Formats: sequence, C-alpha cells, structure tokens
Amino acid sequence: MSHTLAMEWQKLRPFGKTSRTVALTIGLAVSVSAIVSAAMASGAKHMTLADRSSFDSVGISLQGVNAAVLAIAAFGVLSMTREYSTGMISLTFLAQPRRLRVLAAKLVTHSTVAAIAGLGACLAAFAVGQALLGTEGLDNGWTSAHLPSALAGGVVYLLLLCAWGVALGALLRTSAAAITWMASLLVVAPVIVQILPESVVHRVERWLPSQIGSGAMSAHSDPHLFTPWAGLAVLGGYVVLTLVAAAWRMARTDP
Amino acid sequence: MIEVRQLTKRYGPQTVVNDLSFGVQPGRVTGFLGPNGSGKTTTARMILGLTEPDEGSATINGRTYRELRRPICEIGALINASAVIPSKTAIDHLRWLAAANGIKRRRAEEVLGMVGLEAVAGRKVGGFSLGMKQRLGIAAALIGDPPVLIFDEPINGLDPEGIRWIRTFMQDLATQGRTVFVSSHLMSEMALTASELVVIGQGRLIAAESVEAFTARADSSVRLRSPQLDEIAVALAIEGASLWRNGDALEIVGFSIEQIGALCARVGAIVYELSPQRASLEDAFMQLTAKVCEYVPTQREAVA
Repeated sequence: MSHTLAMEWQKLRPFGKTSRTVALTIGLAVSVSAIVSAAMASGAKHMTLADRSSFDSVGISLQGVNAAVLAIAAFGVLSMTREYSTGMISLTFLAQPRRLRVLAAKLVTHSTVAAIAGLGACLAAFAVGQALLGTEGLDNGWTSAHLPSALAGGVVYLLLLCAWGVALGALLRTSAAAITWMASLLVVAPVIVQILPESVVHRVERWLPSQIGSGAMSAHSDPHLFTPWAGLAVLGGYVVLTLVAAAWRMARTDP
Repeated sequence: MIEVRQLTKRYGPQTVVNDLSFGVQPGRVTGFLGPNGSGKTTTARMILGLTEPDEGSATINGRTYRELRRPICEIGALINASAVIPSKTAIDHLRWLAAANGIKRRRAEEVLGMVGLEAVAGRKVGGFSLGMKQRLGIAAALIGDPPVLIFDEPINGLDPEGIRWIRTFMQDLATQGRTVFVSSHLMSEMALTASELVVIGQGRLIAAESVEAFTARADSSVRLRSPQLDEIAVALAIEGASLWRNGDALEIVGFSIEQIGALCARVGAIVYELSPQRASLEDAFMQLTAKVCEYVPTQREAVA
C-alpha cells in the first residue's frame, strides 16, 4: 500500500498544478464570501435589532465555501477521469494490479490536498467575511462559540465532496459525465427543488448536498433540515454508496 | 518466460481468444503475429492482468500477473504509447511509475537515456511525436529492469529510422537473456526481428514455431512461362494440380518441376521458364490465415 500511496503522491507532483487547485479553492471561497458579506454590510442600515441579534455572522462569512466546493469536487473527479480518458489507467493498473488499492490511495492523497485547501479556504473566507461585516458591527470575531463547529463542518463538507468526486470519476470514467452529475447535484438540484410545492420542498430539501453543506456551517437550526453532523453523515453515506458502486465497476470491468 | 494455457475470452457471442496455448522463451525475440482483430491485444492484456480471461490462465515465470509483488520489475509492457497525461513531462511520467514499485528515482533518467530522450526529459508529453511517445513507452517498460518484456505493436506509425532502432533494441534485449514478446500485424517486420513466432487467426493458435519452420509450411510453387499457357493449364488441371495465373506466367502448386517439365513435353509445349518459388513468411502467413479469416479477397484465379 505504501508504494501505491507513493505512486499517487508522485502523480500530484510537481506541485505547481496541485497548488493552483488549492489557490483556486481558496480564491473562490474568499471572493464569494467577500461579495456576500459586503452585500450584507451595505444592507445593515435597514436591519432591526431583532435582525441583528439573529444574524448568522459566521455562516455568512463562510458562504464562499459553497463556491469552493465546485473546485474541490472537480479536483476529485479529474483525478480519475484524466486517467481513464487518456488510457493511462492501464499503466497504473500494470504498476498496481490490485485496483481497489489504487482507488484507496487516490482517496487518501486527494483528501489530504482537499483538507489543506478546505482549511485554508474556510479560514481565509471567514477572515475576509468578518472584516467586511465588521465595518457595520456585524462581526462575531474569532471568539464566536459557534466558530469551531462551523469551521470543522466546512472543512469536512469540502473533504467529502472531494471524495465524492473521486468516486463519481471512478464510476463514470469520463470527465463530462462526472462533472455534469456533480454540477447537477450541487447547483441544478437546489434550483429545481425550489420550484416544487412547499410541502415537497420541506421533505426533499434536507437531502440535498448543498443544503447539508450550508447547514453544517450555519448557526441556525432549521427544523426542515438535518442537524449539521447528521447532515454530514448523510453526505458521507452518499459518498460510501458511490464508492461501493465505483469499486465494483473498477474491479469488474476492464479499463 | 511467458506461459499461456487454454486462454479463452468472449465478448458477448463473439469468442475473441479461443483456447489459446503457447510459451515464450527467454533469450530470443518472439513475434506475435496475426491479422488486425485476431485477438493479439486481448491476449496481451490478459497476460498483463488488465483483462480477466473467461477460461485458462497466463503466467509470467510461473505466477499470474496479479500475484506479482512488484509487477513492473518482473515484466515490462508497452501497450498503448499514447496513453499518457499530456500535461506531464517525460521525466515526471517515469517518476510516478518508479515510485509505484519502489524503484529508485535515478532509474527514470537512466531509462530516458537508454531510449535517447534525455534531451527532452523536461518537455511535456503532449508535444511529443508518435515516435517519441513509443520511445517513452519503451522507457516505461524498462524502468523496473524486468526479465520479461511485452511490446504490443511497437512500430505502428514509426518512420524507417525509428523502426530500425526498435528492431535492434529488441534484439539487444533478447541477447541480454530477456524474454521479448512482440506483437505485430506486419509480417515483413517480424521476418527481420523475430526468430520465433506465435501466429494466431480469429483468436486461435495457427502456429508456434521458429520463423524457418513456419516459412517452410507454406506450399512452395513452381513458376512457368510459355507461349502455350492455356494448353499446359488444361493438361495440368486434368492431372489435378492447383494453379493460378500470375501475369504472363502460371503458378503451380502440388507438382514438382520434373513432373511439370515432363507434362509440357507430352503436350509438346514450348517452355521459356520453369523455376521454383520459395515461399516468404508473408506467403506462409497468408496461406495459413486465409483458412481462418472472415474476409478473404480472391487472389487465385483458376485458368482452366
């Protein structure tokens, strides 16, 4: 297994390209958080005292994570589909005929990168968001009681989406198919759910990956949504199911 | 050495490889010959553990591919030279492969030197010509210094200089005592490179023997030129010879020169030329595979 990990780690090198993925993730998180926080700050004058007391400062600052997740998911997807689409996967399997070890090694190495990128993205987005909200006194600062769990939720959310990307890539094998599915689940599904009747929305919404992600970082508890960690466990369930399907296809069908 | 036993692979109703058994010995270049679509690549992929056989087994030095601890140190393979991520540099491509089997890092530079690519080590593979990719693929096959090598169609799309380079390179590898198994659909190339042959058609074994033995299998014909070809052809056909017209001459199979000469004298025909034609590897291949080919163009036109 150590050789397989070394192989996958070496494939991520030279780190120039990998660090661009990390930079893109952090950049997306920071810019979207900045836009949302600035918009909130500019509307602060119209907020009532009640609005201010219920204001989810931490959750708003971390809004950018919902954008960063696209970069991280694509990073996971491409780790598999680039090899399948070029045919290089055959060479990988020549070096390591135990195919599931290749899948495991990809999960470990890419999740490591995703954890670093995710932590950087959450911290940077929070810092920038708080600074902008602070101009109108809407900031909570680094001492907020809710901060540790929101940050952890954001990082785990990104980590799971990277793993889901690897699994979808291994299952579908083409970049176009896997990225389309990923974007449909993260971006299109929430839009479609919103146009359904309200009674249906309440039943369906909580199962959406994007809702689980936002819920994990939010200070508010919505009775129609899962609690943060229950939501992440559901998301983890999606990842495990996809991984099982991917492992089955990987072992059974030839590259 | 490579040992293939009763290997069978079906895709749906089609049997691509059918009860195939042969062995490949070290110290020489063994050609794996067969028309396009005859099952060569599927066989190579089954030896390499990339495709699961329906029946039978393929072993490398007594073990199946998946049983090998550090597979690329036991058997090197070139299966698809274009299967590389274009944004990687040549040296990085070899480094991950080295890391995969715990091979020392310096070996990547060594094998690049062996195939003459050291000058482009830092260039992206996407900009490589097909010939350069083939050389990189051979470098990748050699990275674990394996005693057994499989090259699937290594000369496809190469220029004459590249073909000559690969030919001598493979012969050198065999001289070092390695097992070298090279597939090709080009018989003339195999005649120059290989000393042993494994010939398949429609997934079945046609022959596994030396190039000389294989060539000797082909029917040798006799060439006859005469102003009275038609008369001779009729007489020969009555005698039961199989013959066909080739330009201004007749090609006759199944009769010796002496028998044909005597027959010409009997019908009183003038003979300009009566010469034995030695079959080439190509002829042997065509004759033997013609029986198993799905599509055979008509080559022999009976005169009579």
